[in-house]
Amino acid sequence: MSASSVLAPTSAQAEADPEKSLRHKVYERERLTEATGHYWGVEQLRLKDADPMKFERFYSRLQSACMAAREVARFVAASPGGREMGEAVWALATAEGDSIALSEGFVAHSAAFPVAVKFMVDRGYEENPGFHDGDVYVSDDGYSCGAPHPGDTYTYVPVVHDGEVVAWACAINHIMEVGAPQAGSWAMFCVDTFMDGFVFPPTRTGENLKQYAWWDEMWKRRTRAGMMNILDDKMRLAGAAMIARSVHEVIEEFGVEYFKLASREVIEESRRVVMDNIQSWMIPGTYEQVGFRVAKFKGLQKIWERADADNLIHMHMNTTIDELGRISNDMEGSSRWGYHAFNAFPGGVKVAFMLGLSGALAYNTKFSSGGNYAVTGDLPEGSIYNPGTQIASHSNAWAQMLQVTTMAYNALTRGQFMRGYMEESYAVSAPWDSVQGDGVLDDGTPYGYTNFELLGACAHGAFSYRDGQPAVWFIASQLCNMGNSEEFEYLIPPLFHLGRKLQPGYCGHGKFRGGIGLTTVHWIVNAGQRFSASRAGSACSFMTEVGQGMMGGYPSPGAAVAVAQGTNLPELIEQGITPTTFQEVVDLTESGKLKVDRLEIWKSDAPDHTLKDNDLWSQIAGTGGGWGDPLERDPQAVAHDANINRVPAAFSARIYGVVLKQEDERYVVDEKATREKREALLTERREKSCPTSEWWQRTRERVLAKDFIGPVQDMYQSSTSFDKYNRHYRGFWHLPDEFEI
Amino acid sequence: MTTIEKDLVRQLVDGTIDPQDARGLLKMETKDTERFWTYLEVLQERVPWDERILLRISEHLYVVAKPDNGRIVKCDCGHEFGDYRANWKSEARLRVKTSAEEFADVYFPEAAAPEPLWNEIREFYCPGCYAQLAVEVVPPGYPLIFEILPDLDRFYRDFLGRPLGDEAGDWYQDKTLEKTGTWL
Repeated sequence: MSASSVLAPTSAQAEADPEKSLRHKVYERERLTEATGHYWGVEQLRLKDADPMKFERFYSRLQSACMAAREVARFVAASPGGREMGEAVWALATAEGDSIALSEGFVAHSAAFPVAVKFMVDRGYEENPGFHDGDVYVSDDGYSCGAPHPGDTYTYVPVVHDGEVVAWACAINHIMEVGAPQAGSWAMFCVDTFMDGFVFPPTRTGENLKQYAWWDEMWKRRTRAGMMNILDDKMRLAGAAMIARSVHEVIEEFGVEYFKLASREVIEESRRVVMDNIQSWMIPGTYEQVGFRVAKFKGLQKIWERADADNLIHMHMNTTIDELGRISNDMEGSSRWGYHAFNAFPGGVKVAFMLGLSGALAYNTKFSSGGNYAVTGDLPEGSIYNPGTQIASHSNAWAQMLQVTTMAYNALTRGQFMRGYMEESYAVSAPWDSVQGDGVLDDGTPYGYTNFELLGACAHGAFSYRDGQPAVWFIASQLCNMGNSEEFEYLIPPLFHLGRKLQPGYCGHGKFRGGIGLTTVHWIVNAGQRFSASRAGSACSFMTEVGQGMMGGYPSPGAAVAVAQGTNLPELIEQGITPTTFQEVVDLTESGKLKVDRLEIWKSDAPDHTLKDNDLWSQIAGTGGGWGDPLERDPQAVAHDANINRVPAAFSARIYGVVLKQEDERYVVDEKATREKREALLTERREKSCPTSEWWQRTRERVLAKDFIGPVQDMYQSSTSFDKYNRHYRGFWHLPDEFEI
Repeated sequence: MTTIEKDLVRQLVDGTIDPQDARGLLKMETKDTERFWTYLEVLQERVPWDERILLRISEHLYVVAKPDNGRIVKCDCGHEFGDYRANWKSEARLRVKTSAEEFADVYFPEAAAPEPLWNEIREFYCPGCYAQLAVEVVPPGYPLIFEILPDLDRFYRDFLGRPLGDEAGDWYQDKTLEKTGTWL
């Protein structure tokens, strides 16, 4: 960094040469990309063609800088999510915010960077205060910086060369606590954004690669995990500083013009590869996918009458390949935004589209923002994906938006199935969960926390040719990691694991079943002066994760929570009995061995619970969907599942029609009984089904009579308030024009 | 150009592929461009009927070309669902499950099952062989989900470079609403 670049605001440079202003670059990038279909109008990769080795060396330097930033900086953090699980990414972006290179990690968040840059340009940041080399900006706001939710916190460092912003060193990580009324990092019970916690637009929080002293105080004062969040903040900045330094070195070596033009070529090159992949792997057409998420808050939000309601959120996606060959996701028909925490803003939706697709579509090219230009969306204003108002809460947009991610990805895997690339085809699913809250230690120290263990390691859904596997992937990152039990235990002192394992039977079933989902059982020990816990996650089991299974299989179930309060656990422990799964908590309670004052099963969002010593908090989450007709499942696979305690034998008879018997303490297939059982189930299908036309006629009468529970009818009203979906819904049921839904 | 053995495609279709072979396919940097044609050959060899498969759209369902220029959805058992432009589910057998007891037959443990009244489980069967072709878990009153309406002409012409003989401008349109209109 040169002394002159530190002192000279870019506004001075912009006056001297408007083409070097950030405003010009942002809008010229948009104009040229739209006009030509090529990133920044780059129709030929001239630098690459002229000297490929130089070009690759250039990219390698930048990509290595991002990787090194991650591998070094994350050890600055103390939060398990940042340090151990690596829920973060570091990136080098162009002046316009498009990523040239990224580290491993949350790569899809590159879709949010341009949102923040454009916001700053449009709001006059370039003139006041101006961008200086080594300035530090931070934001976590979906409206202004594209964050999917406020737990995702971004740091941006402008790289200024000769008075011109030429790049941004960026970082993002998921912090442990956001300071909302409901403790944790995904407050679920927000009414509007003023309950989202410590939310702020892009804000200059430091200069010369050093945060201002007041910034640390903000974290301490406005969140419940100040020390963790300060260290996360330093982690992001440390990596960004490493990248910024590397960029100056690269510019010194290659020249600034080469840096700018080659960066555009890197992005254009990867865009082309992704576009080619779409053409090579997908089938053009219309893929309809739907999902539903309950916001079940009636009776729980009494202070805010407008939010004291049960809502059913509709996620509706029509995916097409547009005329330019891009994947286009039309979200019309999705619900209107509401007074709940599950709204999203367009930047976050783009992150959701790319969360799975960025890896799936771009694994054979340079990882850059190129792929972001190959995926687009139609987000109607007023909808849950584009509220058209700043006040919408988006504290846990992932409650429904993770399903958007899985739907976008499922369109790709369905396409790959039709093209014959069956090895890539699977039921994409990732219903994650977490436990979050706060407490006060015996010595009076308050703290807030989030345990991410049920987020970072989901099961795979079933593939088109084999079962899914448990705890093998994290849709948001290439790095599957649930974190060490001990890491969370020392940061959340009262939560001790009694169990952290697989919950038998918990998956979407089919010819091939999803990977078995996870379960945890936490025992509350030494709760201190106070300890509370609530649930935060994506799909809860009130509805399935998405509304359709793959090819005859069942969609993944959602997550659930069991809270046992006032237990006799010490007595059971003396007998050598401890519940280690969600279902064991339920079964031991039902058998009377585990005595409880109260057992609650939450299939919707569990609110804050004050927990005492010997209470239990248990969850199931992180499973996958099934593939194909369960009656076609190999009976030997069913027996194997029973023998390794993956799926209970009694349940297998019902869903798979496979009858098992025990021989030498092992399950074996009863061939004759299985044939008879499967024949009986086929007969049942004949007898209990009807032509779809008969169902349609009966159901149409219910539609006309509005014979549905209130939240379902409200959902139809909300979705049909958008014209195109209104025509679709009315057209399907052939409703009279005068009929009011 | 990378190619893979036809037998590997057969094993994928059968679900018998060795995990290491599947891993090898997953790790290909560039997919074999001829896969679609190999896939069609493998599928065509297996079905007991002669119509040309244009596209496999589900485990058992194909869009096939009829001799009279029609394009229909057909099950591998031979049952025909009619014009592919109308959602094939409209010609299926449908079982609707609505109770907690029925949900517990397909989801485990009990707490993982969706909630009645808010959800119904729709199982779509082939009227010929009663294979379960699709599952929807949606609120009652929800329209049928049209999983895929392929744009076959664009696919064969622009993506594969081998246009279909009966290419026409009106193939790519959703005719499901016309179908439900006949049920009034």
